[in-house]
Amino acid sequence: MSTPHQKLERNGMGFALMILFVASLGGLFEIAPLFTIENTVEEVEGMRPYTPLEVAGRDIYVREGCYACHSQMIRTLRSDVDRYGHYSLAAESMYDHPHQWGSKRTGPDLARVGGKYSDTWHVAHLQNPRDFVEGSVMPGYSFLSETPLNTHPLEGSLIALRRVGVPYTDAQIDTAMVDALRQADPFANYEGDLQDSYGPNVQVRDFDGQPDRVTEMDALVAYLQMLGTLVDFDSFDAEANNR
Amino acid sequence: MKSELDEASGQHTTGHEWDGVKELNTPVPLAFRVSLWLTIAVAVIMWVLYPSWPGVADYLKGTAGYSSRDRVAEAVADRQALRLQQMPEFAALDIYDLAEDPTLEARYAPAISVLYRDNCAACHGRDLKGQTNFPNLTDDHWLWSGDPGEIEYTLQVGINHTSDDTRWAQMPAFGDGMLETEDLLSVVEYVLQISGSEHDAARASVGADVFENNCVGCHNDGGIGGYENGAPSLVDDAWIYGGSRSTLRETLQYGRAGVMPGWQGRLTDEEIKKLALYVLWAGQDGPN
Repeated sequence: MSTPHQKLERNGMGFALMILFVASLGGLFEIAPLFTIENTVEEVEGMRPYTPLEVAGRDIYVREGCYACHSQMIRTLRSDVDRYGHYSLAAESMYDHPHQWGSKRTGPDLARVGGKYSDTWHVAHLQNPRDFVEGSVMPGYSFLSETPLNTHPLEGSLIALRRVGVPYTDAQIDTAMVDALRQADPFANYEGDLQDSYGPNVQVRDFDGQPDRVTEMDALVAYLQMLGTLVDFDSFDAEANNR
Repeated sequence: MKSELDEASGQHTTGHEWDGVKELNTPVPLAFRVSLWLTIAVAVIMWVLYPSWPGVADYLKGTAGYSSRDRVAEAVADRQALRLQQMPEFAALDIYDLAEDPTLEARYAPAISVLYRDNCAACHGRDLKGQTNFPNLTDDHWLWSGDPGEIEYTLQVGINHTSDDTRWAQMPAFGDGMLETEDLLSVVEYVLQISGSEHDAARASVGADVFENNCVGCHNDGGIGGYENGAPSLVDDAWIYGGSRSTLRETLQYGRAGVMPGWQGRLTDEEIKKLALYVLWAGQDGPN
């Protein structure tokens, strides 16, 4: 009269092994794909680690909780591609720790916001969003223009990022603080050095409209203006990277 | 330890007994069991049809040949084809021919306004009237001329943007050692004069000479503006940054270099033509 289940229930060792097997499946499904990550991350031109100023801007983005209302993930849906541009690639998040894909759009997706608006617009809009977008519920962030950028944590940030796989060089880590300040200073005559170090798609200019100081606004706008601009889609082989 | 029939419910018990308390062993309803096995069956079918299991160097691609990236590329291409079909003029004609067709505005302006609002309204406003730092598109004052091809080109490459072939226009910072403060203030009065504002006539006449020596290269004789440099006219009452004494002084002191993003790559050629035409219509319809 006893079913196989009842027999198993009465066999302590066998039941423990079954529990172990079933529980390990969950882990397997999460861990196994990581061993084939090379299949997932596309081979692209132009993707590079973020510059220290962009890292600082990204930290402000995370600190202010921008991800709660803005996604950075253009899905493979026509409506998304029509409005925001080429769907996001895995490669575009490969230096994000943690990624900023988000899960909700109270505001628009920002994955390709870089270059869509001018710096002037970003600064003025961050200061008072309702001056530009009627009915916007975004808070104002005018204090970013008043807050000098604290560059001290940047060296540590880059070291931490390297530890989780972002290929920063020793030289890049050593000059992190000065790199951040000089990316926001077009008169520092440092554009070439930064581009040699990081790549030709580094944008050097005064981002916040205050040439004589480097503020958190500089960092955040530098980060926003970089978003989605790194990958060279002219050389992107869509066929080979089909998923 | 024996299963018994519980008369009240008609179900068997588990056979366990805890201080006289027994537990019913009611089976899960048949519909639940059937749907459990059905979902498992569907999952197996999906594994076969669609991309599923990761392998060592690759993954199971599925027999249906499905790829979400292929799917979206097709959907985007289909929609573009549909738009061309609905607005065939924009693929067939160049911007000059389009500008000459007076019937297009009534037919297509509502559809194009969606594109405008999505990409341009953030700076130039939903009503196209612009705001401080961002030019008004409804008047007939142009920076690079109101020629349809020039408007299209500005939309393509932008002004002072990051692309290599962008238009380049910069108002230098004359306060940065290029002009003495006195001269700079005189030029401000001259600009106030030629734009028809209240001004200091004596200073303005001094300013006229300074203007002649420093500004006409871009702004032209008398400050009428120059399309080849994107230099605005100073004799009308339209201002990008403001025409007050203090704002003019700020402009001369620190310079200006407004940025218009280039849309090549972000928008299709047809979309850029649509927007160029939309801007042209707004300029024709608005007050002069």
